[in-house]
Amino acid sequence: MSDWTDDQILAMLRRALEVADPVPETARRAARAAFTWRSIDAELAELVYDSAEEDVAGVRGTETARQVAFRAPGVEVEVMVTHSGGRRIVGQLAPPQTARIELQTPEGNQLTGTDTLGRFSFDDVPSGPARMVVRGDDVVVVTEIVVI
Amino acid sequence: MSEDSVAELLVRAAEGDRRAWDAIVSRYERLVWSVVRGFPFDDGTRHDVFQTVWLRLVEHCGRIREPERLAGWLATTARNEAIRALQQRRREVPSEFRFDLPDRVNPEAADVLIEGESERAVFRAFAELPEDCRHLLRLVCADPPLDYRTIAELVGRPVGSIGPTFGRCIKRMRQIMERHRGLKPSNGGSR
Repeated sequence: MSDWTDDQILAMLRRALEVADPVPETARRAARAAFTWRSIDAELAELVYDSAEEDVAGVRGTETARQVAFRAPGVEVEVMVTHSGGRRIVGQLAPPQTARIELQTPEGNQLTGTDTLGRFSFDDVPSGPARMVVRGDDVVVVTEIVVI
Repeated sequence: MSEDSVAELLVRAAEGDRRAWDAIVSRYERLVWSVVRGFPFDDGTRHDVFQTVWLRLVEHCGRIREPERLAGWLATTARNEAIRALQQRRREVPSEFRFDLPDRVNPEAADVLIEGESERAVFRAFAELPEDCRHLLRLVCADPPLDYRTIAELVGRPVGSIGPTFGRCIKRMRQIMERHRGLKPSNGGSR
């Protein structure tokens, strides 16, 4: 075996890893299922602010709510994520307007409506990737994915 | 099976062709896994990170500017998501409840699964390597391959150090294999 070349060793390691450390079937299914998130016909609301990204040094306390903002032409989606007990999202559209909001996660979707000031909330939000689809009178917007 | 170009698959997937998407996943899932595996996650977090990478690809499908660099894009996205997950854990879990899970490999279980004698020998040596070597070797033998520049970004070290570090790790692996062979007299006659 001392006369094996580096490339031969790597090829054997690759084959060994494929067997001994395979991509789990659940993960593989999740990757395939991701396709259902292919963008619907909606404007993308880009992530413009995420307080979690400012937190590299880990200075903030764990009790502080995370603030996230998305912007699309004509509408901004601002949300706060809290997790005392279950995870909760509280948000508002700016400028204020009524809309239906769908929270999409790999575990399922939740639908809610805003009040007249554009406020909305979701309870029992699972951790993991999520995005929101906002359907207003004349806008359909989908936010970038954030991991909650 | 299909020899379609990545660019073509991405275009078709963006247009809604599920088979093209599945082909992309099978071609690159191991690569993404190799990157995510290098981080000290529990199974649940690892699953979330892996899944998020693919959701991000779906989000960007029609807008990948250099399809031929998709391997690099996926690897970098996987690393970014992994780092984000580490930061989130640091934020949400008090340090006294935080455990770093070492990148465990189980050589005994692998012995049962791996068929070839040589592959088993290589894997047993791999299992004894320090974590940084294992992380690097996973990336170096990723399929489709990653260039050294991308690997350097993934491990957060200068490009110039990758070659020498790889050399050190594989030398170490050869030494372990030699030692294992010495320990197994039953193998003596096979020379």
